[in-house]
Amino acid sequence: MEQNYQQQPMLTPPKNWLVESILVTLFCCLPFGVVGIVYATQVSSKFNAGDQAGALQASRDAAKWTKIGFFVGLAVLVLYIIAIFAFGVTAFWANKDAMNDYR
Amino acid sequence: MIIDKKIQFLIRCAAVVAISLLYFFIDARETQLFPKCPFHSLTGLFCPGCGSQRAISALLHFDLISAMRFNVLLVASLPMIGYSVYASIMNTFTTKVVQQRLFHSVTFIWILAVVVMLFWVLRNVHVYPFDLLAPHH
Repeated sequence: MEQNYQQQPMLTPPKNWLVESILVTLFCCLPFGVVGIVYATQVSSKFNAGDQAGALQASRDAAKWTKIGFFVGLAVLVLYIIAIFAFGVTAFWANKDAMNDYR
Repeated sequence: MIIDKKIQFLIRCAAVVAISLLYFFIDARETQLFPKCPFHSLTGLFCPGCGSQRAISALLHFDLISAMRFNVLLVASLPMIGYSVYASIMNTFTTKVVQQRLFHSVTFIWILAVVVMLFWVLRNVHVYPFDLLAPHH
């Protein structure tokens, strides 16, 4: 598939993962999303400059960092839920007033 | 592993619905059940995503003001998310191709990046009016 991309000139820029990286930044609350946004700028600027290989590489990097952010966020959530069930929900509720913290 | 685009889209929809139900019936504003932001736990500072779980619960209860208090950037990005969802529906289920030119505009992406970074810094400034950007009830 990548072979095809490189043989013929691309008419549209490769996927820049912009919306996905914004979502990771706002939902998973991890700085990886910001890295994704920076690569998103490179996808478009390199494509506009005619550097198709560079745009494809930036697209792959944007995808990589956005996915790392997404899966780390997901892993934190899953581990957290497992921890709750392992230690018992009651322990969390007992501390409800004491733990009036941000989340 | 190749999964059909349409099936992939429907799996994502199912995941979004499941998570929405969770955050609707268990209001993140009232429970300690959901994980706290690791960045906030480590540094005590707010990241651009802090408050988004509570904002989602607020949005699911149609409480827009409350959602904006917890994470105004998330609420502000809803039109963009909506447009993206529209584009992927069109591109997946119809022959019409929505190119999303705006999202490939270098100027637009840089503005977004700067807004996110500014939001990150300013919501940690404990001076009015910037303290309004920090998650609060």
